[in-house]
Order: sequence, then structure tokens, then C-alpha cells
Amino acid sequence: MFSKKELQLAYGLAIILVVLGAVCYAAFPQKTPIPPLRLLFKVATGNVLFDHQTHGSAAGYGITCRDWHHTLEEEETTDVESCSECHAPGEGDEDVPKRADALHAQCIGCHQEFEAGPAECSACHVM
Amino acid sequence: MFDQKKLVVSHPPFVHIGSRVTERSYHIILAAVPAVLLGFVQYGPSAAAVVTLAVSSAILWELLMNRVTKRAITIGDGHAALIGLLLAMLLPASVPWWAVIAGTFIAVVIGKHIYGGIGSNAFNPVAVAFAIVTISWKDLFDFNAALLNYDLNFTAVYPLAAAKHFGAAAVESFSLMDLLMGRQMGGIGATFGLGLIAGGIYLMLRGFIRWEIALTFLAGVFVTAFVFQVFDPVRFAGPGFHLLTGYTLIGAFFLATEDSSSPVNFIPMLIYGAAGGIMTVLIRNIGAYVDGVILAILVINLLNPLLDKIRPQALGKVF
Repeated sequence: MFSKKELQLAYGLAIILVVLGAVCYAAFPQKTPIPPLRLLFKVATGNVLFDHQTHGSAAGYGITCRDWHHTLEEEETTDVESCSECHAPGEGDEDVPKRADALHAQCIGCHQEFEAGPAECSACHVM
Repeated sequence: MFDQKKLVVSHPPFVHIGSRVTERSYHIILAAVPAVLLGFVQYGPSAAAVVTLAVSSAILWELLMNRVTKRAITIGDGHAALIGLLLAMLLPASVPWWAVIAGTFIAVVIGKHIYGGIGSNAFNPVAVAFAIVTISWKDLFDFNAALLNYDLNFTAVYPLAAAKHFGAAAVESFSLMDLLMGRQMGGIGATFGLGLIAGGIYLMLRGFIRWEIALTFLAGVFVTAFVFQVFDPVRFAGPGFHLLTGYTLIGAFFLATEDSSSPVNFIPMLIYGAAGGIMTVLIRNIGAYVDGVILAILVINLLNPLLDKIRPQALGKVF
């Protein structure tokens, strides 16, 4: 049917590549870099793809970490806490905005202040 | 006068010229290598992980099926390796190992062996597998979501998604040269236009794929996208963009041309290829999905038996 060489090549490929694949998967797991490059907010009205790198870098819009993440100390760039670590969902405190309201206020507020960036809902909420 | 050459057939026994399925499979793999290499450069070891695991698991699934069905071992023909490679080329580099193994299982076992093995499959096994895994685990195969953590030195938005959601203006920043050189988000081996075209030309010249299918597929994409753009240039991107984004090139050269699911006669091949191209742009522009190549190929696979009924008239037939 097939020559010994052909079968050897196929067996060789299978064995070598399965080992290589396992090693690559084990040695290079998927990790979110700190600070992240891009974020995808999954919401029912359409997911929002947020370019974190461009918003935060000096070459981009130059927003500092503390402008957005209010838990960070001066000059601190890592250890960003999730909102829910302090504010339990549905805790009912009227002074604490809902996550969606907080994000909307920050995004829309900044876009309006600098008269830049998307204005329409569908320009952010797309996918 | 009849064409004398067509009637000259020598008597058996014939001599085998040595060209076998094995040669065909490995040449197609070779033609795909440039596009895959660019994927390795762009996405690093995680792309290598997906490709190596896909090729090896496809071979191992075929070996398992050979054993279970007590048939001859067929992994020597390189076809399983080719299926694994082509599937990996469509996937994002971030896809988890279990999805790769599930994908190759669907391709080799469901897409190929359940139909009776090589040459018997009605649908392209790679297209079947990709369609099933993308519909099953949508988020894993949405390039914008899947490739969040890769620092790319080009616009990090999936071009077809941008065109679908924001119209032609959103993709003006993608120059055709960038798209041709693979400076775009997409599958591991599906973005390097130049590499895929070079591979396709090599395969057409060597006769491993039929130019009739590949070129009419591309012509179908070009003409349909052109008509849409003329109709509404604000909403629809141009034909050049559609030719060089998504799975158009890998679909035209490597998927639509798969032999057992494509026609063998001249006119049917032209219709088959053109229908694939037209369907692709219809799905992209007015359908629900961002890219239409895979589904278009499954649709033309369905048309294949019907198209092959268009045959040349038999010589000497008496009515």
C-alpha cells in the first residue's frame, strides 16, 4: 500500500509534532499582559472592543492609570482591582454607580470633554 | 475532422509514473508553508502549538480510525496531515488545545472517514470541521476577542468585522499592500496574501489543483464585491479588500479545490468556483456572518453532484 518510508514519515511527524505541540502549549500559556493591550467588554447590547494600549500610552491618548483606576496609588501601574472586589453587585448603595453607568460616564465623559472618539452608541457597541 | 490525439490509447499494462496521493498531499503542504511561517512570526510559539497539535492529532485520529475500522493504515498518504495543517491555518493562534483536537476529530473522523475515507467525502473535511467548531464555540473564533493579548504591529481589528459593522470608511486604513503582506488580523495561515497566492500558483502550475476552480472563485468574489461597491460605496468595501481579507485566498486555492468535493468537468468547475465566490461576498455583505468563505464552500460542495451532471456529449452516442 504505502512504502515503509512514507509510513515512517507519517509516524515520525505525528510523534514529533504531538510532543512539540504539547511542549508549546505547556510552556507558553495564554496570559493577559499587565497592563493589557486590548479589552473586550461583553454586554448584551453589543460587545465593546477597547484599545487599552492606545488610551493609556503616551504615544496614544496619554490617560494615566489613576485617571481611570481610582484604587491605584500614585505611580502605581499594576494591581488593578476589579470593581466587584470592593462593591458587591446589587449592594444597593446609591452613591456607587452601576458598573455600566460608571464605564459609560468615564468613556462618554472623556470623549465629550476632548471632543474626540466615538459618540454614537453603535460606534462602540458593535459585536 | 476529429481530433486524432484524443483517441490514442496504448494497450495495457501501463507504467505508473510514480505520482501518488502522497506526492500531492506533501506538495500542497509545501505550498502552504510560506503562509504558515508568517503566522509563526506574527503570533510566536502559540501559533506553532496550534499547527503542530493540529497536524499530529489529525494523523493520530486517522490512525485510530484505521485501527477501529480494521482497514489498511492510510496515514502514509499525508492526507490527514494536510487536513490538520489546513484546519490550523484557519484558526486563531489563541485557540485552546482541546478545541484543536475536537476540530481535527470532526475533520478526520466525521468529515472524511464516516463518508468512506479519502475520495469519498461529499464535503471538504476542513470546512465541515471549521463550521462546526466556530458555531459551537463562537467566542474562541471571533478574532477580535481571541487575539486580545497579542501585541501586533498593525491595526489590531479583524478587517472583515470592521467592514461589516462600520462600512467601507472603517477599512480605508488597510492598504492592499498591507493586506497582501499579511499585516492584518486573522487565522494563523490565512492572512499572508502573497504567500497564499505564490502557493496557489505553484499548485496550479504543477496541476495539483484546478485553476478553473481557484480563478473563478476569485473572479466571483471580485465581480460580486465590485457590484456591491458600485451599488453602495459607503456601506460595502471594494473588491480588492474582499480578495485579500478573511479566508478568500486560502479558500480559493486550498479549500474549494479539494478534489473529492469538487467537480471534474470544465463547465461545472467554472460554475462551482464562481458560485463559491459569489456566495462568499453575499454572506459577508448581507448575511449574518462576518466571513462567508467556509459556508460558501459547504454550499458549493452541495452543488457539486448536480453540477457534474453537466457533461460533455459522449462520442458515438446514438439517439
